[in-house]
Amino acid sequence: MLLICGTIPREDFPLTVGPVFFDGKELTLDGKTVSCIQGTAALVGAACEVAEFLGEERPFALLVGDRGTGRGSRFLYEHLIKNLPSLSPRVLVLHYMLPVMGLMKKVCQSAEQCEKRPVMIADAAAMYAAKAAGLAPRFDIFTPDHSEMAFLADPEASHPAYVSRHLFESDGAMIPELALASFKQMGAATMLVIKGATDYIVEYGKVIGRISEPDIPALEAIGGTGDTISGMLGAFIHAGFSLTDSAVLAARVNRLAGQYSGATPATKIREIIAAIPAVLRDHVPRQNPVPFDKIM
Amino acid sequence: MRSVFKNKKDTESGIILFNSVEEAIAGERILKASGYEVRLVAPPPELRRGCDLAVEVNLVEKAGIERCLRERGADYLDILPLKGKGELLNVVKVTDFGEAVMVKAGNMKLTFDKKSGTVVNISGGGCPDIPFLHSELLDRKLADAERPKEKGFTLCSLMLDRAFEESLEIWRKQIKE
Repeated sequence: MLLICGTIPREDFPLTVGPVFFDGKELTLDGKTVSCIQGTAALVGAACEVAEFLGEERPFALLVGDRGTGRGSRFLYEHLIKNLPSLSPRVLVLHYMLPVMGLMKKVCQSAEQCEKRPVMIADAAAMYAAKAAGLAPRFDIFTPDHSEMAFLADPEASHPAYVSRHLFESDGAMIPELALASFKQMGAATMLVIKGATDYIVEYGKVIGRISEPDIPALEAIGGTGDTISGMLGAFIHAGFSLTDSAVLAARVNRLAGQYSGATPATKIREIIAAIPAVLRDHVPRQNPVPFDKIM
Repeated sequence: MRSVFKNKKDTESGIILFNSVEEAIAGERILKASGYEVRLVAPPPELRRGCDLAVEVNLVEKAGIERCLRERGADYLDILPLKGKGELLNVVKVTDFGEAVMVKAGNMKLTFDKKSGTVVNISGGGCPDIPFLHSELLDRKLADAERPKEKGFTLCSLMLDRAFEESLEIWRKQIKE
């Protein structure tokens, strides 16, 4: 099971778990529909497209409404703490939720009780909570953007809003140094997929891959383009691709989807997601493993 | 009373300082009644100002906590992180895409159309109020939109508010020229 956990911006959406159906515009989960907008919904939509292309089972989602008060997030944490061992997903993606360090710690403890430890991926505020609570080494992959990379490398910061000015200002120029520093300080997961003008794949603090083509500068402005990378990453891993191949594939497909959609700064994430099936058909071999040079 | 030093691993990341013990107790009561998980603690010596009683909070919820205390008329001195520097990042970066301008503040980016002043995209962030603010602000004119900090609850919303503030200033300068 690929289990994706996060919040959606509605107060009237109860905690719901199950397989997700995606029609290209809306997600349907246990009879409830969710618009595919920036955030966890975009992540789930991109994961669904990859799973369908590869003939894999539908991703499972654990979603709850939360517009920022944290009430829904706390239900989500509690559900995971109680039920992760029985769910025992192969891949677990934690995404938009209020960062609560104490609860994230319990989620990690619960994951250790699964029949087989899941591949653990964190993005967005789930990543903030994991780093701030000193739990980063328990995760297999974090997917920060460049400013979040500065946060991971700042041992004092508990949220990107409090990152040191000099680290924030370094932006993309010092990514290899920041990645190494974050790993040494136990602020990084085993692998980092760093999203930006150049995407970096980092393992144990060292850069092992860079993806910068096609160059689509507008992607940085489009809300949800980091979410789609994380969703595709989880789906490729769940299908059996190696972590490294999955990271490179997700980054490449995301850029190509930007190119296929003719992305401008005003493009919406649903347009990027709509381009993913065509990119997959044109560029991603269905066989696994994929030779590394074929996907770089 | 519990000290923040005794069990650092389980504490959340911020603290509210007050002038008096009465204000601290009132602040804690107000926040608890509003659903926040908070507790009274002794402030660490390096942060201590005002009285010897403080309220420990999840710093991420700063925007909502400030609004909650303000709306109920509760006085406080400051809300600070328990470690690191006490000030929010206040640096912005501006990218001109030609037809649109992107303003980045911390982990948040707001992009607006140069001709109309309309918000065309919001990206970055990770707290649960961001998708909500995204849907609230998208396709709204900067001059007509409510500021993110008035509807958000988290530090991400404060970073988005900073990007919004800068965007509005750029837009206003542009229409004057």
